[in-house]
Order: sequence, then C-alpha cells, then structure tokens
Amino acid sequence: MSDARDPRDPAATFAAAGVERQLDNCTYCPKMCRHACPVAGASGHEPWTPQAKMGQLAQLRRGRAAWTPAQADPLWACTGCRQCTTYCEHDNEPGLVLFTGRAQAVARGAGHPELRGYGERFRRRDVRLAAELREQFPDAGPAPLGGIGFWPGCDSVDKGKGDVAAARAVLAAVDEDVTLIAASQVCAGYPLLAAGQPELFAAHARRVGEAVRDLDRVVINCSACLYTMRVQYPAAGVVVPEVVSLVEFLADRVDRLPRPKSRRAVYYHDPCYHARYAGVLEAPRTVLRRLAEVRELSWSGTDTECCGGGGLLPKTNPTTADAMARRRLGEVQAGGGGLVVTSCGTCSFMLRSNAPSGVEAMDLPRAIATLAEIDVEEVSTVASTGDEDDD
Amino acid sequence: MRGEVSERVRRELEGILGPRRVSSEAVDRDVYARDMWPRLLLARRAGDAPAHQPDLIVWPESVREVVAIVKVARAAQVPIVPYGGGSGVCGGVVPVRGGITVDTKRMTTIRSVSADELTCDVDAGLIGERFERELARRGYTFGHFPSSIYCSTVGGWLATRAAGQLSTKYGKVEDRVAGVTLVTGRGEVVETDGPTRALRGPGWTQLVVGSEGTLGIITSARLRVSPAPQLRIMRGYWMPDVATGIEAIRRVMQRGLRPAIVRLYDELDTMINAASHDEVGAPALDEDAFAPSPAPGAGPLPPWPSPDAAVEAGPLARLRALARGGVAGLRREAMGAALGRSRAFNAVLGVAAERVARAGCRMIIGLEGARIRTEVEAALTFAELDAVGGRDLGDEPGLRWLAHRYAVSYKMSPIFADGAFVDTMEVAAGWDRLDELYAAVRAAIGRHAVVMAHFSHAYADGCSIYFTFAGSGGAADDARGHERVYDAIWRDGMEAVARIGGTISHHHGVGLLKAPYMHAEHREAMTIYGALKQTFDPDGIMNPGKMGLDRHA
Amino acid sequence: MPESGRDVDAVTRALVDLVGRDHVTAPTPGATTPVWRVAPGSVVEIAGLVRAAPGLGVVVAPAGSGRRPPVHARPTVQTSMARLCHVLALDERSLTAHVQVGLTGVDLEAQLVPRGLSLGDYPPAVMRSTLGGIVAVRTHGKSSARTGFFEDNVLGVSAVLADGRTIHTRIAPRRATGPDLARALCGSEGAIGILTSLVLRLHRAPEARFATAYALPSVAAAVAAVQLALREEAAPSGVRIYDEAEARVHFAELDLALGDGEALLVAGTAGPTDLAACDRDLVSSAAIAEGGRLASPALAELWWRRIHGGAPTPAPTPTTQLMATPGRLVRVYGAIAAAAAEAGLALRAHVSRFDADGAVVFVTLVRGGAVLAETDPGAVAVVLAAEGAGAFPLGARSLRLDGYLAALRTAIDPDGVLSPEALT
Repeated sequence: MSDARDPRDPAATFAAAGVERQLDNCTYCPKMCRHACPVAGASGHEPWTPQAKMGQLAQLRRGRAAWTPAQADPLWACTGCRQCTTYCEHDNEPGLVLFTGRAQAVARGAGHPELRGYGERFRRRDVRLAAELREQFPDAGPAPLGGIGFWPGCDSVDKGKGDVAAARAVLAAVDEDVTLIAASQVCAGYPLLAAGQPELFAAHARRVGEAVRDLDRVVINCSACLYTMRVQYPAAGVVVPEVVSLVEFLADRVDRLPRPKSRRAVYYHDPCYHARYAGVLEAPRTVLRRLAEVRELSWSGTDTECCGGGGLLPKTNPTTADAMARRRLGEVQAGGGGLVVTSCGTCSFMLRSNAPSGVEAMDLPRAIATLAEIDVEEVSTVASTGDEDDD
Repeated sequence: MRGEVSERVRRELEGILGPRRVSSEAVDRDVYARDMWPRLLLARRAGDAPAHQPDLIVWPESVREVVAIVKVARAAQVPIVPYGGGSGVCGGVVPVRGGITVDTKRMTTIRSVSADELTCDVDAGLIGERFERELARRGYTFGHFPSSIYCSTVGGWLATRAAGQLSTKYGKVEDRVAGVTLVTGRGEVVETDGPTRALRGPGWTQLVVGSEGTLGIITSARLRVSPAPQLRIMRGYWMPDVATGIEAIRRVMQRGLRPAIVRLYDELDTMINAASHDEVGAPALDEDAFAPSPAPGAGPLPPWPSPDAAVEAGPLARLRALARGGVAGLRREAMGAALGRSRAFNAVLGVAAERVARAGCRMIIGLEGARIRTEVEAALTFAELDAVGGRDLGDEPGLRWLAHRYAVSYKMSPIFADGAFVDTMEVAAGWDRLDELYAAVRAAIGRHAVVMAHFSHAYADGCSIYFTFAGSGGAADDARGHERVYDAIWRDGMEAVARIGGTISHHHGVGLLKAPYMHAEHREAMTIYGALKQTFDPDGIMNPGKMGLDRHA
Repeated sequence: MPESGRDVDAVTRALVDLVGRDHVTAPTPGATTPVWRVAPGSVVEIAGLVRAAPGLGVVVAPAGSGRRPPVHARPTVQTSMARLCHVLALDERSLTAHVQVGLTGVDLEAQLVPRGLSLGDYPPAVMRSTLGGIVAVRTHGKSSARTGFFEDNVLGVSAVLADGRTIHTRIAPRRATGPDLARALCGSEGAIGILTSLVLRLHRAPEARFATAYALPSVAAAVAAVQLALREEAAPSGVRIYDEAEARVHFAELDLALGDGEALLVAGTAGPTDLAACDRDLVSSAAIAEGGRLASPALAELWWRRIHGGAPTPAPTPTTQLMATPGRLVRVYGAIAAAAAEAGLALRAHVSRFDADGAVVFVTLVRGGAVLAETDPGAVAVVLAAEGAGAFPLGARSLRLDGYLAALRTAIDPDGVLSPEALT
C-alpha cells in the first residue's frame, strides 16, 4: 500500500472502503445471484458462488485464512462475466473485486498454479501471434494517421480459422476503408488483468496505446479487447482513440450489407463484455435481423450467460469452462440445434469447440459472410504450436 | 469420521465419481459447513471457524451415483448430509457429526413437461429461478416463487416444505408435488410418484416431503405445473387496522376465492415498507399524523445522531429514516442502542402504531391466472375488501411490490455488516387463534428485538404470520453475546407458539434451529416420524442430529 | 392365542371389562377363528383395547363395511366405531369440524346444512360411509374439482397407536415441521394406527348452483372440453361424461336426441353466484369449442337431483371402475371400447370425478342383456386392455414401497397387533 491516494494502485484499490463494503454485502447476502453465476451453475460448486468467493476473499483480507494457492483458489473461479451484478441491489462488482484479489494473491505468492510465469507466457504468445498475423496478411500495416483501424484480437488470430479475413471481407462489403492493424501486439491485455498482473497490464496497455494512437477510431470484434481498451486503458492512464465494436460499426452501415435470398434462423449469444460492460445490445440484433431470423436464448441481453472463456477460466479450470459452454448451448440443442452467432473471438472459440452435434457456432464476421454470401479470401493459416501460451 | 476411515471412504467415492467430484479441501469444507441460518453468520462475522464441517463433499450427477454414495456411507457408517442451494435459514445442512455432504446441484435436468398431464419431471438440483424461467419459456409456471428463488433448489423446496409468495393460489410446494424419487438411507431408490391417489396404502410422497434429508436424498420430482397466467391483477389496499385486514382475508378465502398474493402488513411493517420505497403519498405516513414526541410513559428513545434524524422529529420519522437507509445508513452505535433497548423501542412503536392505526395498515393483494376466471375472482375479492372498510389504492402499490418482490433479501447484509442481526419467524394457525398468536409472538420477540410482521400465505382455515426481527447482543465480534439474545428470541417465540397453539414453522423448516421444539410441536406423533426414520434409514446415517429425531429414533 | 372355548370366554370377559357388556359381541361358537365385535365408546377404551390385545393373544382390526368380507387368520377383535359418532367441535371461524370417525358423511352433512356449511361436493356413495372409513381407505373418486380430493380436506387426525398412545396432528393449516405424519394414517386401513377423530375442512354452502348439459361429437371431444374448461380454471362441483349407450340407460326417461357415437357432458357448478355462473359459462364455452350443442335443460336438472340425493340413480353397479390420468383418459376409453368390441361385449361407460390427477371411468359390460361381473373373463380382458393403455383399477393397492410399508409397520407395531391383514 505504497500510495493510498492513487486509485490505480492495486493494493490501494484492494484496501479501499468500497471493497470492504462489497465483501460484507456479499458475505451476509442470501446468495441472491446464485442462479446467475455460470461458474457455480455449471460446476454445482457452492464455494464458487459469488457470495462464497467474496466471502473467502474477505476471510483472506482479514487474515482469517492464509494466503495460499488452495485458500485463494475460489478467486479464480470467476470469468468476470458480471451476470451476478444484474441481480445485485448492492451494486457490488464481484468480478472486479475478485480480480483485485487475484492481484493480491499473485503478489503474496498465492497465485494459481496453472498461471506460473504467466506474464512471460503472455508476451511470447503475443509476439508469435503478431508474426502470424503479418504472415497471413502481408498488406496489413501500422495504424494510419486519422484513419479507421481494425483490431483483430488474439483469439481470432490464434483460433479464429479465417475470422479475421472474414471481418475484412465484411468491412469491404460495407465500403469502408479500414486498415487491419498489424502492430507488435495482438492482444489488448485483458488476460493480464484476469491473471492478477495489473503492472504488466499497464505496461502492455501503454505499448498498445502507442501503436494505435494515430488512429481516429479503432474497430474491435473481440469483446474483451473492446472492454479493455474502452474502460481499462483510460483507468490505467492510457489515452486511446474512439473505440467501437465491429458490430456497432456494422449496425450503422447495415443498409450496405447485401440481403440474402433466403433467411435462416440464428441464435445470438451476447458476449458478457459486450452486453454488460459495453452496453452493446441492439447492434448485433440490428445487423443479424437484416440477414436472418434472430432467435433469443432464454438468457440473453444483459442477462446473457457466459461461454466460459472469460477470466482465464479455460486455463485455471478448463473442465468447468467447457461445461459452461456446453450449458450455454444446451437450450439450442434441446430446441433441435441450429446456428449460434456471437461477436467475440473467445466466445466463438469456446462455443465452437464445445458445440454438441447439430449445433454450430460462428463468430459474427464469419456468420455475416456466410449469411450474406460475401466471398472471403482464403488465407494460409500458420499451424498453431498447439499450446497457446508458448511455454 | 476418523482419518483412516475418511481415507478409505474417499478412495471409494473417488472410484465412483472420479477425483474431481470428491473434495476434502479446507475451502470447500468451510463453505459446506453452513447455510443462511443467521446464527451461523454471527460466528462467521466474529471470525470463528465453523463448529461442524463435513469431512468430504461430493457432487453426484445421477441417481445411480447417489445410490452408490449412500451405500459407501452406510457400509462405513458415515453420516450423509444432502445439500441443495444452501439457502436454508435453520441450519438444516450443518453436518453436526461430520461425514459426507452430498451437493445435488449437478443434477439439473428438466426431463419432461407434459402438456396433457400438466406435470413436469425435474431433477432436484435445479435452481428455482432457472426452473421457473424454463417453464415460462414453454408456457407454464410452477407457481412457486420464494424470495430465495434465485438460490434455492427444487430438492431443497421439497425437503423443507417451502412456500412461495403466490402460494395462496398455487399452494405450498407439498401441494404441487405428485411424487418424488428418493434415495433412502438404505441406499435404495424409491419412487413415490404415479397416480398414487388411485391406489390403496399410505401416501408416501407426503411422508417423504419435508423430511429435510433425514430419510433420504430427493433426486428428482414430478411436479404439477399450471399454464402461464394470462392475466395478473395487482392492488394495494388500506385496511383500518390489522384485525379488519385479517377478517377481510378470511372472508375472501372462505368464499372460495384464491388470490395469488395476499400480504397484510402490520403497522411497523407497513411503515418500513412504505418508507423503504420512499413513498410519501400514503396517508398513514403524513408527517402531521404523528405526534412530534414520544407518548408519555413510553420510555426513553434511543438516540439517533444521524443528520437526518435531527431534521425529522418523532419516532416514526426516525423509523422511516431507519428503513430508508436500510439500517446501514445509520451509525452503528445508534443502531446498537436501538436494538439493545428493543423493549422500550417496541413499546414506543406500540403507541406510535396506535396512531398509525387510525389511518390503517397496508395490504397487497393480487390475482392471476386464466383471464375470465381471474377477472371474476378479482371483482368478488375486491368487493369483500371494500365490504370490511378497505380502501383501494389502485394497482400501483401492488405492481411496485411485484417489481421488488425479492428486495427484502438484500436488506440482510447491511444489518449484519453494521453489527446487528436480523431473522424471520414464520408461524401459522387457524383463524380462531390467529390474533392471539400474533400478539403473543410479537410480545415474546419484542422483549429482545425490534419486531414487525405481515400476514401472508392464507388458507380457508387459517393463515401464516411472518415476523421479521432485528436485534443486537453487543459488539459485532461478540458472537456469544449475540447468540444469547438470538437464542432467547427463539426460545420465547417458540414457547409462545406452543402456548397459543400454532405451528413453529410454516415454510422455513426445522433444521437445527427448531429441533428442540419438535416434540412440543408433534408430541406423541413424533413416534411416527421415528418409525419412518427407522424404516428409511435404519442406520441413522441420513442428516443425523436434526429435527429432534434423536430422542425418537 | 385363545383356542379353547375357555380362552375365548376369558377374552370376552376382558373385553367386557374394557368396553362394557352391551358393546361386546362374542364369537360365533365353533368358529375356526374367533372374532369379537366390540364398539368402544371412547378413545380411552380403544387405547385400553390395544394395550390389552397382545396379552389376550388377539389382534385389533376395524370392522369396516368394505366389499371384502373379513376373513381372519388370527383371533381378532373387530372394532366398530359406531359409538364414536359425535361432532366434537365446530369452528365456524376457521371453517373446520372436529368429528369422530364413526360419523357418516351424510350425518355430518345433516348437522352442517342448517348452519349454512357443507363438507363439499362428494358423491352420495362416498358420503354414506363413515368418515373414518373414507379416510382410512384410499381410493380415487373421492374428489371434486371444486372442493378437492377428500383427503386434502383432512386437516388433522387423532389416532391410537399400537402401544396405546394417542396422537393428534392438527395444529395449523400448513406446516414445515417434517413429513405430514397424518398421511401415515390416511389410507393405512388401520395398520399404522386406529383413527379416532378427524379435523375436516368445511365449506360455506354455495350461494348459487347451476347445471348444464351438452351433446358432443364423441367421448374424446367431451374429455377435451372438460380439460379445456379445467385449464381455464373452471372448478365445477361435478362433471360427468356419458358415452351414447350409457346416456340412454341413465336418462331413459328423456328424449336425448344423441347421434351415433356422440357423448353427453353434464356439469354442475357452485359457489358465489358470479363464480358459479362463470364456471358454467367456461364449461359451456369449452363444450361449444369442441363442437358441442346445448342439450335439454331437463337432463341437467335430473342429473343434478340425482347426485344431490333427490332422485334415485337408475343404473346398476358397473362392471368395473378404472382410474386414468388426464392425458390417458381418451386412450383408455378407446382401449376399453376396442377390447369390448373384440370380445363381442356391449359397452357403456361414463367418466366422472375429474380432478388434477385424472378421472374415473365407470365401465359396464353387457353380454346377452346381462351386466358382466368384474371376474368374468370377458371383463378381465377389457380391464387388461385398459391397464395396457395406462389405467389403474380402482381399489388396487400400491406395491411400490411394500418393503417400506412392512418395515414401518414393524417399527410402529412390533407385535403386529393392528390389522395385520390390511394392505397385504
């Protein structure tokens, strides 16, 4: 707690009275968000309810539990999806508080065993993906002054199977001159926040900020990148251009999208970081309605249910993360299957890799290209090393 | 469970469930040591470790696995405690003898909804809100809306005979269950469902429902569902006084009408309720209606050093401040003083309440269901309320209640955070002794804590009374001090119920909290419960130490 | 165990000491197994009887008026509850009556009617039984859509257990303090305890009653109409569907004007005038929606008089009664009709006692003008077909938890004093 006056200081944040109040509110609450925690829901684990996770953090904070990886384990059972906040009349932010708790755990040597050396692993992966991106798209360049840049996002580059190319094709289809940003970074740094590495995040954010600072506007498909650049960068003191989601960008130009001959039915999965952090709710429906019949899942909009991809859960608890994705698609499967569209590289990867038979999941650019019959140029995808962390 | 046994049992369970669904982690054992029983929160607040923890926690995914778990436990003579949402308020899941806690929440499938039979087969671990939403999507409702619906499970409801806010129409959960699948303490699966009423023999469903895990683990149930309501009509009413309000409800119910919601708030509850919604238009809350100072002989008022209190004068204005701030808005010492002098405080309220009584107390009433019949029932219902002198406040108070129907559950945290405690006592009796029961329990709790009440869950033959009380027993970390006051409230309250003749629990269940009063409740009939226990759980491994069974088993 | 005449006399003397000379009937001399009939006059006497039973070597069983004649394997004291026939308390504020089990429904109703109260809409056949008998033997059909399953109106019971202790379960309209222990006694046929009194829910006498009748294209359409009305939350006090043949027998005196395969739907509604009218209209609308047409009001009136005891029911006892859940009613009726046709039997049937669990199908099978007995092979074939379609014979016993029932009986009555032959 070097400087309690600095709101960006993680220790100060963690010590703040607001955190104390939130921990109390959760500890004594009769679990009013129990049903809305997808981690607790998919696992059935009571210690992973927001109430219990916050309660455990309170115990740690008060010295009633020791800072050990085992005692700090519940802090990692959160994707930061914020669904709990939909039901919180205390205005608590368990996700954000738990992430500050993670930083404390890491600082006290009680970090998650699966995230040892994560900073370095993150860096290596970012370097690798930046290289892959340049290789796939030789015409991609640095962010032009005063222009519009498309920020591809790490999971789309890594596992998107041509989703970046699809995004470019769609942007071209709406007659927009958007430069694919090929910087030294591909990820906006959300994983570092989720890993409890706020200092590394701040340094990364400064580098990304540098890379995009000449742009007039950054268009982003990845929901976590959108939130990170829009909210966390300014909080870390990094000045960024206007940040807009790809789907919002397209919604403003929806008339330019070709109308398909036939309209099939699609489900839309709202990424948490769009729906609950960035208020991106209507835009995807506006876009998809032009191309298809949009069916709502029972948990959608601000009540959307996390795919399991947030908060580094796929690393700290892959079984539960996958179970969350399957749970999310259960309703589609029960309804006879179909296409689920989302607008986030991470969400689409989680849903795609856990889709039961009869259910197909697509990221928005690919879905638009498919539904509107827009040609997407084939790109040579570099064989992934298999381990996304490069460690 | 001794370490050695524990290790063997653990290995066997891991063989059945795999290592990921068996845990003896300290973090898990700590969480599964409790539910939302406020007395447990007192110890937690003070930093005391749970007195009883499970040795192991398991997460089965099928009836078959539950059977295997019970067989392992039975062979090793190790206790089993079923665990749903952990939302109980009576300590029903506290593993007083350690053992294996069985979390049912990985069994969440809605297996079928039959449009012809109006039944639904559902797994016990499904959380209420998710169940109800899925039914709504398909055009049905189970009609069970407890304020714990966000965190309680279907199995938990059945295990405790829960009631939802709309129970006056749809019934309590025991009225809505056609059958259950239960893994008994013998490690066998029994199904009590099917059209049992066509068949001779005892009605097993009702002998299992409410057993709080002492006979077995409910793994799924066949529940009765209703078509989703086509119409909902909500109203607020002012009643001249509580007695008139009670009479109005009785007349409505005995005319064969079935409103979904009937809630009559006593004077303090009315006031707190109105104030917490910042409602100033209601006549009873006009500042002028109250004297600016406490009535003579009412005793000293607790100090309220908040800035608000300096502006607003009189006990009721202070109470409104208390409610508006959700108690948290007041300084800790001030509240401590109020709660520590609850007898004087309640006396003041009594006097103040009489003043309020001139303007009456509030009732929320609502009807829902099929369009035509609901309209007819609503007209008849409101006519009864008008006939006793009730005044229609329009639909706004009712709609607002509906919008904030679970809001009360959020008020718990600030009170605990501020070093006090809050709890509820839900009792019931026939109409013949309802007034008496209200007075006696209110007086009993009022000796120790600030108490208010509302009447809800009405029947043709009686009604339940829901008391809410807030108290304090010293500094926040003085768990023993708080427990002394807390225990005295329950002792006196339960004694009052036994004296007047009512039930000690209408829908929260028994658990540990009310176990000492089970004999007074059932007397010789506990023999039958004991015989059921011996039948279903001959080794006494199912949730031992609960429900006052030990002296009868 | 008393075997010799001397032992029988000793038991008789002991029973006389317990309940008085006038209330003991000694066994028929020379009977294989001695059976005493006693009529205790109080709960205390019943408790004394039960306590004495093991020492006397006898078992205690209720003297029911069931259809099966009692055949006892062991010396048995049959207890008649005829003297326990009083209303102990009438709570007009809570609308409950505390009544002794020997009272019949009809007798209780006679005391209630002058006070503007009623036990509910139960068929005369049910109401003629003692209240204890109605509750102790669980069968379907004791229900109405308006006032519910009879057992649901039992708010509490008092009973004597095998060790002579007495229990009382009435305390509040609902509670959450463990299992509903009264349910161990309801339907137990005397095996778990001897019921001595009941707390019953009462209803205010309806302000208005309506009856209506419709002709529908088929039994299936009539069933659909009833279910539609119930789904619209109509709560009729009585509903009945007659197939064409049954209607002709039951309403022989009237001109029905029913076409081939048509069905007759009659319904009675009761309650506050507006509500009773509403329910009638809901039934009518449902009937019309399913293709029905209004039938003669005289028909509805006649039916109404009959079920309220004002007119005799003409039809003989049906061959069999079957219960089916709502979703299976039509299928069950179809299976019965098909099986009857295949066996060359004439069929007539009516469906009645609708509630949330389903309804009862009253089946009459006729061969050569004579109504078949339930044991006739032709009837058995029809019943089997119905069961195949999901029906349950009325009065069948639940076998599901047999082992648990046996264990429960042992736990509560280790000497096997209470009705050892019940539910076996």
